[in-house]
Amino acid sequence: MSLKRRSAQWPWHGLLVVILLGLAIGLWMATKQVNYEWRWERVPQYFAYHDEVAQTAPFTGRIVKVHPDGAYSQVEMIPDAGGSRAIITVETDTLRVADGAQVTEDQEIGVTRHWRVGPLTEGLWVTIWISFASGFIGLIIGLVTGLCRISKNPALRGLAVLYIELIRGTPLLVQIFIFYFFIGTVLNLDRTVAGIGALSLFVGAYTAEIIRAGIQSIPKGQTEAARSLGMSTAETMIHIVLPQAFKRVLPPLAGQFISLIKDSSLVSVIAITDLTKSGREIITSSFATFEIWFTVALLYLLITSVLSQLLFWLERRFARSD
Amino acid sequence: MIEVKNLLKIFEGRGQVVRAVDDVSTQVAKGEVVVVIGPSGSGKSTFLRCLNGLEEFDDGQVIIDGIDIASSATNLNAVRREVGMVFQHFNLFPHKTVLENVTLAQRVVRKRKAAEAKDKAMALLTKVGIAEKANEYPSRLSGGQQQRVAIARALAMDPKVMLFDEPTSALDPEMVGEVLDVMKQLAREGMTMAVVTHEMGFAREVAQRVLFMDVGKVLEDAPPAEFFTAPKEPRAQAFLKQVL
Repeated sequence: MSLKRRSAQWPWHGLLVVILLGLAIGLWMATKQVNYEWRWERVPQYFAYHDEVAQTAPFTGRIVKVHPDGAYSQVEMIPDAGGSRAIITVETDTLRVADGAQVTEDQEIGVTRHWRVGPLTEGLWVTIWISFASGFIGLIIGLVTGLCRISKNPALRGLAVLYIELIRGTPLLVQIFIFYFFIGTVLNLDRTVAGIGALSLFVGAYTAEIIRAGIQSIPKGQTEAARSLGMSTAETMIHIVLPQAFKRVLPPLAGQFISLIKDSSLVSVIAITDLTKSGREIITSSFATFEIWFTVALLYLLITSVLSQLLFWLERRFARSD
Repeated sequence: MIEVKNLLKIFEGRGQVVRAVDDVSTQVAKGEVVVVIGPSGSGKSTFLRCLNGLEEFDDGQVIIDGIDIASSATNLNAVRREVGMVFQHFNLFPHKTVLENVTLAQRVVRKRKAAEAKDKAMALLTKVGIAEKANEYPSRLSGGQQQRVAIARALAMDPKVMLFDEPTSALDPEMVGEVLDVMKQLAREGMTMAVVTHEMGFAREVAQRVLFMDVGKVLEDAPPAEFFTAPKEPRAQAFLKQVL
């Protein structure tokens, strides 16, 4: 007889499915109640769409011949006023002229289609690169501030504490406004720069505290061993303390970075067209409010979960020496 | 090799003032092995840590190979290169392999080439009998093995003096011997050593002098034969009665 009891798990899995189903049904009923008409088919076009570009006659003249060539057709035309012939390429199924037809200048002959990136994809890209840029700058700010925070120099320590307290004690939204309207105006900054600056300063303060805690969590014996071998303070930090501290702070740092991606949605208030702002703009033209917000939420979820997987993998790699 | 004059180290905290090292003067000659013993809290570890400046002492002088380590003109890092230290809890670098533990300071501090540092490290790891673990991480090693790596790491800097701070206190009893053997070998080779330990057998066998410390003072300074058979101080007599 083992002490380990194996109670049946399946009733609980069943319960989970029932609860999730209940929630889904509830959501569906709720939208029925407000007579909301779901139009999911409208969403994909905001990721990428087939754009049609009208091809027009460059001059008044006559169509000499249309050369069909699969999906595309070459339209050969000659100007009435005399001169060299022109070849215009259009999609065969949109061809509007025939051999020998007379056309005037700017008359539409057909269209060509191109894939274009939609506003959701553009917004997603802006969110990703703003987050990474401010995450990177924030990490550097955090590292420097974290080191200042544990420095023996009272001036450095005081400045670090002041900065951390100021940032952690005020809302990010207010910081973004101050950065954009005050600092941005004084220094004449572009709105994107102002947005990245505000996010970097914000995440830097939190990172500084994480890094400080990480450095202080490394046993004193490590520093003593390094110093007893003749290493300087800086060499000890670089070779001994920081590599070990970095490994320890990776999980909280990752959490901070994931928060940053979500917090970056606040820069939409200073008219940076990130994922959130794109979503809002699309809604004003499509009226697919529910679908777009759900899609936007899913996209944030996608970035954050890809990132947590990546960091999980990184953590396992670093765990080699444990 | 080591000269200590009127060394004073005071710890302050929670309204208490502790004179951990109280006016200690002594010297260690080149090639001499000095063992420091005493009850816990007697200041013997603090005394040893003052010798390479890991503790910032409050007064007095420590002169290593003619260099006053407290002088403002002294580069303490340069002095520490010449003074190896082995700790009670080994303090190996857990994120580096055994080999990297022994080569790192050679590369960073002594500016040796990678190949040279590696040859030196392998020679020392062979000497302490642990060459086959060179590419393992310290967490894979037993306490005794870790401590031998720590000794190799200190020796890799070609120190003139070795300080041992209770090197066997954190070890399982069956691993004490392997570490003491390495230390005995070092002593035979003429290394200048200052050892804080509770291993009376080691003191008796290897030391030229035994310092007995209590409440921050050196109460007795005698050759081991004399100290272990006829201690003069009543405190030393009481201590030996307890431990022997």
